[in-house]
Amino acid sequence: MDALYAQRCFNCHGANGHGDGPLAVSLAVLPPDFRDTVQRKSNPQIKRLISDGNGVMPAFAPALSQSELNDMLQMVRFLSREGRDISWWENFDTLVAAHCSIPWEAVLGYDEPAEEKKP
Amino acid sequence: MRVRLGWQVWAVVLLMNSPSSALAATLAPQSFTQRRAVKLAIDDFTLTDQSGNTFQFNQLSGKVVLVGFAYTTCPDVCPLLTAALRQVQSNLTAAERKGVQLLTVTTDPEIDAPKVLAGYAKRYGAELDNWRFLTGDEKKLRAVWKNFGVGVKRKGRGLVDHTPLTAIVDRRGFLRVAYIGPTPGVRLVLDDLRWLLAER
Repeated sequence: MDALYAQRCFNCHGANGHGDGPLAVSLAVLPPDFRDTVQRKSNPQIKRLISDGNGVMPAFAPALSQSELNDMLQMVRFLSREGRDISWWENFDTLVAAHCSIPWEAVLGYDEPAEEKKP
Repeated sequence: MRVRLGWQVWAVVLLMNSPSSALAATLAPQSFTQRRAVKLAIDDFTLTDQSGNTFQFNQLSGKVVLVGFAYTTCPDVCPLLTAALRQVQSNLTAAERKGVQLLTVTTDPEIDAPKVLAGYAKRYGAELDNWRFLTGDEKKLRAVWKNFGVGVKRKGRGLVDHTPLTAIVDRRGFLRVAYIGPTPGVRLVLDDLRWLLAER
């Protein structure tokens, strides 16, 4: 399971983002199902929710880096698609890790050019 | 003379010290919140509140104090604990509010600066006339945690394992009731507060 999601989100939002984590039943308001809510929000809106919190949901910005906040945003987007769950992410993660561990420079004989910085 | 917490309390404290454990994940939180009547002297301490003002515990002498231990980025039991305190606050009558002070003491001073605590208080709708959120340097906080019997262990930035304690301190500065678990029953806490308010 994605470590960030497991540590910070799983207890309330559940493994699939359906709002059915082990602590969800103890909350006064059930956490939303990502499939219903996340699709209707823009990335900055979701990132603001993760950063600043909402109601009993913690504000994670003081504790996380920008890249970690972006990772959480991607995870939430991922789970918001119908039929996706945490096991899909694990497979995806494994593929990405495998892809990144291949010495592409040795395989292809060249390395990808660095991204050009916009002026 | 101090009366120490019994071994049963510490057994529960140890059990509860890892609220994000598999046990915590599989049991309904209400099912393992324990209430213990104790009598433990609480030493004076000085911390900083959510507005950056100095807070001294002894100034609350004569009031019944409801104390919760939590940290703002906690994704575990703290939201339940703070929400329960908010419910308690909103159920106190105007007369009772004058005799009851709520305190939330952070278990993560690295993250929980006064400004962060102020945002946390606002999200919960805490009314600050009788509720203060406290932080300070780690050395001072360690003494407070130790006095209340709260174990604190950092797991990473913004992730802390701690004893999920809510406690009531009586008018004379003795810890009298300890709830160990994420959701102290609001009705039960109100009954205990009223019992200790009636004590002279």
